Amino acid sequence: MLVAAASALSACSSIGAGESGFSDYAFVPVKRVDVGDDSLSVAAPRPWNRHRGTLFEDIREVEDWTLNGPILDGMSFVTGLKNGRTLVRQLKSEDQQVPKFRSDMTAPEIAAMLESLYRVRGGTVEFKTLSLQPRQFLGANGFELDFEHLDSDELWRKGRAVGAVIDGKLYLILFDAARAHYYGAALPDFEAVVASARLK
Amino acid sequence: MRYRLFGITLCSVLLAGGCVQTRQYADMEFTPPAGEYKLLVLRPDITVGSLTTGGMVEPRADWIDEARTNINAALKAQQAGRGASALFVEHRTEVPGVSAAELAEVERLNFAVDESIVEHKYLGDYLPTKRGRGLDWTLGEDAVRLGEKSGFDYALFLHAEDQVASTGRIALGVIGLAGCFVGFCAPNVGGATQLDYASLVDLKTGQVVWFNVVQAGSEVPGIKFGDLRTPEGAAQMVERLLGRMKPGQSVRRREGKT
Amino acid sequence: MCRRCAMLDRRALLAGGGAAIAALGAGIAQARVKPGDMVPLVGPGFKPTDRDEQGLWREMERVEEEVSSSNLLIQDPAITGYLQDIIGSVGGPAAKDFRIYLAHVPDFNAMMFPTGFAVVFSGLLLRMRNEAQLAGVIAHESGHFLRRHMIRSWRDMKRKTDVFAIGAMIAGVAGGAAGVYTGDYVQLAQLGALISLFKYSREMEAEADAMGSVQMEKAGYPPIEMANIWQQLVGEQTASAAYRRKHRDRGYGLFESHPAPESRMADLRADAADVTVPGKAYDARRARYLATIGPIRQMLLDDQVKLNDPGASEYLIQTLAQDGWNGLLRFYEGEVWRLRNRAGDEARAAQSYSAAVVYPDAPADAWRWHGISLMKAGRAGEARAAFAKYLGMKPDAPDAPWVRQMMGA
Repeated sequence: MLVAAASALSACSSIGAGESGFSDYAFVPVKRVDVGDDSLSVAAPRPWNRHRGTLFEDIREVEDWTLNGPILDGMSFVTGLKNGRTLVRQLKSEDQQVPKFRSDMTAPEIAAMLESLYRVRGGTVEFKTLSLQPRQFLGANGFELDFEHLDSDELWRKGRAVGAVIDGKLYLILFDAARAHYYGAALPDFEAVVASARLK
Repeated sequence: MRYRLFGITLCSVLLAGGCVQTRQYADMEFTPPAGEYKLLVLRPDITVGSLTTGGMVEPRADWIDEARTNINAALKAQQAGRGASALFVEHRTEVPGVSAAELAEVERLNFAVDESIVEHKYLGDYLPTKRGRGLDWTLGEDAVRLGEKSGFDYALFLHAEDQVASTGRIALGVIGLAGCFVGFCAPNVGGATQLDYASLVDLKTGQVVWFNVVQAGSEVPGIKFGDLRTPEGAAQMVERLLGRMKPGQSVRRREGKT
Repeated sequence: MCRRCAMLDRRALLAGGGAAIAALGAGIAQARVKPGDMVPLVGPGFKPTDRDEQGLWREMERVEEEVSSSNLLIQDPAITGYLQDIIGSVGGPAAKDFRIYLAHVPDFNAMMFPTGFAVVFSGLLLRMRNEAQLAGVIAHESGHFLRRHMIRSWRDMKRKTDVFAIGAMIAGVAGGAAGVYTGDYVQLAQLGALISLFKYSREMEAEADAMGSVQMEKAGYPPIEMANIWQQLVGEQTASAAYRRKHRDRGYGLFESHPAPESRMADLRADAADVTVPGKAYDARRARYLATIGPIRQMLLDDQVKLNDPGASEYLIQTLAQDGWNGLLRFYEGEVWRLRNRAGDEARAAQSYSAAVVYPDAPADAWRWHGISLMKAGRAGEARAAFAKYLGMKPDAPDAPWVRQMMGA
């Protein structure tokens, strides 16, 4: 009887939208492209996926890319973030606030701003700075930050950020991925992108 | 393992009529396992509950026990039919040669990968670089190490959820779909609903080579199928989930099939 | 930025909302439950016989399996042993068999499950002033356990939803918003979300308060400390909201949408008066608490301050400073200003850092931030000295290369 009931059932169309229609992600080709507020251009060594900004969630100066989906890996570009601006949109009334960027921030202060971003917004319960060292970026005296964090989905993630404050504005490229496999797999892409970065 | 929010977003998909939907994705070069292979079935999340009139899920310990036994038996039988041996792992300490902590790390990454597959393959938020290219995700070196240490060739991560309508609901015949966004998933379009997902990992490469979602619902309360509390129902679920693995796109093209 | 974070927001279940504090504003209209009426409904070796309860237990067993192997737990045996001792003394007749897990999550929260395990968040340890208060929270949660609130609540929900089936769908939704999870618990065995799932009715909160007072008194703790906990929490929430120039949150978050919890605190004081035996000596065991928590206090402060909720953080630091300021507290006071970064905060932070480094217990990081403040103020020589001190304390500091470059400049 069970079998009869089962055979009376038809197959249906596929679950959900599948891979048709409009996606939040756009294709990034292997060539020089503008990112963020378009004051910066980079070239990736293989195709990536760019998240299309939304009016209410994102800010113009920040652009997010991913290879395998943001739960697993992501590369973010901060371009020309001005004094007093935040990396994410937030309401003034929220109890926990991601700190604003200030033009006179030193590298440890920018690193601390990123750490708070992860703790306040990213569900991070443990954050370890692995290293903070000087590094040239876009022809300026910048820094490289290496870090690891444990998030509330129990996954350890690892990241690297390279940035500099130029004319009082923050330029930063950040790579963050699952520590198991995904960080190592795309780190060369990140380094290639950083090496290719040019101000316009 | 846990399917947390994963299960919640998936059931926000509407079902039309009474039908069985399966949608599988596979690695381009995937050939369904055959011959003598060893399959590790990792900590299946099996929930069987009574769907109350009001739409709550009342978990039933005795049904869960029955379902686990039935699925275990069905899996073993089905895999034996293919010449394979399957080990059904219930607790993290049960994988030979592998510590609970090591297994936990693989499970955590697997959860993140499965969540990504659902998001980007099933829910419409596709990644252009992966579109139309089969299944392109991996668990990496940790999974390969798991295979080497345990001696298994494939790992199957499985989730099966079966809600059986209680008499109250049958009487009322209420149909609705609600609350998936607020932390309460009511996959109760009609009488009985089944939500099953499986992902197959090739432990020689660490790749997720096959992924399938089965969502079955009957609009007519009272018709039960694939009832996990019965051996036949469990066998049917296993067959639907694992029995119809299709080879990957590239393989099918070479064989002249589409 | 952090696309994964945006996905978290979208999928987030409930914002905060602790079982321990749920219905703190369980205000008026709820008659006080007399402690004398409270007896444990659960004894040692209890196993459910009802079918629905058995099903719930089965789910809870899976939840415990996930929780116990979570990498979000703090496994320090000195502290977990301490918590085990406390729950053993206030948990009631079966408490010797209880398990208690400490999760590394900076919220004030705790929850007890009917199968006899409790989860406590590390944020709790930052906020309790003595062992009695910590025991009070655990006793309150044990009260929910001893009075079998979870199964009662679940059955209430089932009864309500059965009666109004169409509305039940909405109740299911509302239940979700109100925090009563009616689905598959195992699916949500995620520590962060788990504790916010369950909210008890006002009557149950009152029962837990009363039962908790009984247990506390029996164990020799001053029952009045339970009222003090809530007093402190209200203070913290008020400070947090005042900074944001808004009223204490009444919707999501730690408080339900009820009027001020003064009535509940009054009830707790009355409970304490009821159970306190005149002439009996009670001990809040402050010294033991401070000594045991001491080793992780810096981590707790770090977790809290970096969330950049200046009102709450400053309140907590001030509270801890009632025992006297030290290098650690002055340093974190500085951190609060630095992260808050309003007009004048840079100067305030600089002042706190210079105050901090005077104390012998100032952490190494205090010297680094002190150095940065000096550098920004143009006092290069002093900055170099502070950096040198930092590197002396922490020769393999992760940012040593950057610091050394600053010194050279």
